[in-house]
Amino acid sequence: MKGINLKSDDANAAARGLLARGMEAGLWDAALVPARVPAGDSYAWLLLRDAAALERTTPLPPVMSVSGARALYKLARHGTARRVVAVLRPCEVRAAVELYKREQLPLDDIFLISMDCPGAVPLKDYVEDPEAGEELFGKMLAGVEEPGREICRSCDHFSHTASDLHLGTLGVPEGNVVVVPASAAGEAAAEKLGLGDAGPVAEWEAEVEKRNASRREAKEEAHRALREEAAGPERLAATLGRCIGCHGCRSVCPICFCRQCYFESEALKVPAANVFARAERKGAARLPADTFLFHLGRMAHISLSCVSCGACEDACPVQIPVAQLFGLVAANTQSLFDYEAGRDRAEAVPTTYYREEELAYLSEPYVEARAPEGVGADG
Amino acid sequence: MSEEFRPDILGIFCRWCSYSAADLAGVSRMKMPPTTKVVRVMCSSRADPVFALGALLIGADGVLVAGCAPGDCHYKTGNYQTRRRYALVEKIFDTLGLDNRRLKLVWIPASEGAKVKRVVTAMTESLQEAGPNPTRAEMFI
Repeated sequence: MKGINLKSDDANAAARGLLARGMEAGLWDAALVPARVPAGDSYAWLLLRDAAALERTTPLPPVMSVSGARALYKLARHGTARRVVAVLRPCEVRAAVELYKREQLPLDDIFLISMDCPGAVPLKDYVEDPEAGEELFGKMLAGVEEPGREICRSCDHFSHTASDLHLGTLGVPEGNVVVVPASAAGEAAAEKLGLGDAGPVAEWEAEVEKRNASRREAKEEAHRALREEAAGPERLAATLGRCIGCHGCRSVCPICFCRQCYFESEALKVPAANVFARAERKGAARLPADTFLFHLGRMAHISLSCVSCGACEDACPVQIPVAQLFGLVAANTQSLFDYEAGRDRAEAVPTTYYREEELAYLSEPYVEARAPEGVGADG
Repeated sequence: MSEEFRPDILGIFCRWCSYSAADLAGVSRMKMPPTTKVVRVMCSSRADPVFALGALLIGADGVLVAGCAPGDCHYKTGNYQTRRRYALVEKIFDTLGLDNRRLKLVWIPASEGAKVKRVVTAMTESLQEAGPNPTRAEMFI
């Protein structure tokens, strides 16, 4: 892998500099970047037409208030006709790629820049005490503190992704940022920006691989612990039992794009007679109905595209570990089809195609034992 | 016999093969346990896994989805899509420690009335072994 050394003290300044140069060089007409809100207690996405406004932005904010993929989707779902550069966390890039693959987000005019992500601070903690949040994030960046959010602690996709350009900071000597072109568009942009070629970036790659290895272990351990805590009907009921049915997790989910969600539809507005029938069967029926079905059903619908960004958990008002449950399920359902959400723009979502010869355990022979000899599944 | 646990099974049968086979089993007067309530759909792929999950959560003991055999779908590819989706739901069940025996996907060609009988009998027996669905007692689910 080739990389370019960009002299810069921190990733944010490097990204701002890169954006300014690109906009000046006419590579991009606008930039989508997070900036701290005036009250200072959160960050919001801004579309900038003017490079001068870049000063106010923080390309790598401590919190993920809104997933960048969601912000990008709101802007570009029907195309932009202008060239936009977006600076995203790796999980946000992967969510954007999933939307692209599901034909919800055309990426023709979009240039994606990703950065090595140290994780995020839980949104509620940050809103409550922004200064403590900034301090914690500083320590996370320096690598002396684990990520604040649980889901980030077991993230093994915090670096190089399906973006066009990646900014690497891990393991790189201080004062440097490595720019890695990750697509043809990225190569072309790097050339146009005159970034030059500083050869291989072994230090960065080694550090990423090292951290990835320990994160994979952490992920395995987290999944094991979560299974112990939440698997089985009773324990799952205990974990999801406090759900208030606000559907906040779904509304902030970057890959939940359906305009008419099944779980908001008439189909799930249970008539009184049905509730009475349930009450008769179980002794009592919970209202609002189907809070469990919502979570399990959502797993069936979108776990193949889940990128474990954690937006759902940040949004949950009753602290259900939604992202961790989804992450656990997603890891298993995706491995069933040897798929990884957002890994590759060219890789099709598993529910959009099939193979005739697969899943043998679900495909008993057409003609069964009663058939005369010589006539069977093969004959 | 009357004291024996009789499971409630939701059947979701495709209109072209499985439902015809069930019909054939009926007109052939085949005897089978009266456990399965069949809903007819135009294609097994119409059975969103959410239907199965919903039935199991409100206390059905099992869900039986039946479609045309692979390669035999009236709409050419519907049952292949069903197969992928049900593999996915099974995986979710495995992951969350839910009972996989309660969900079954089978292929029943239209001429195989006897297979309907076999499948329904076998599923009834396996659910009798598994016992009532624990969600029946969970009023908070």
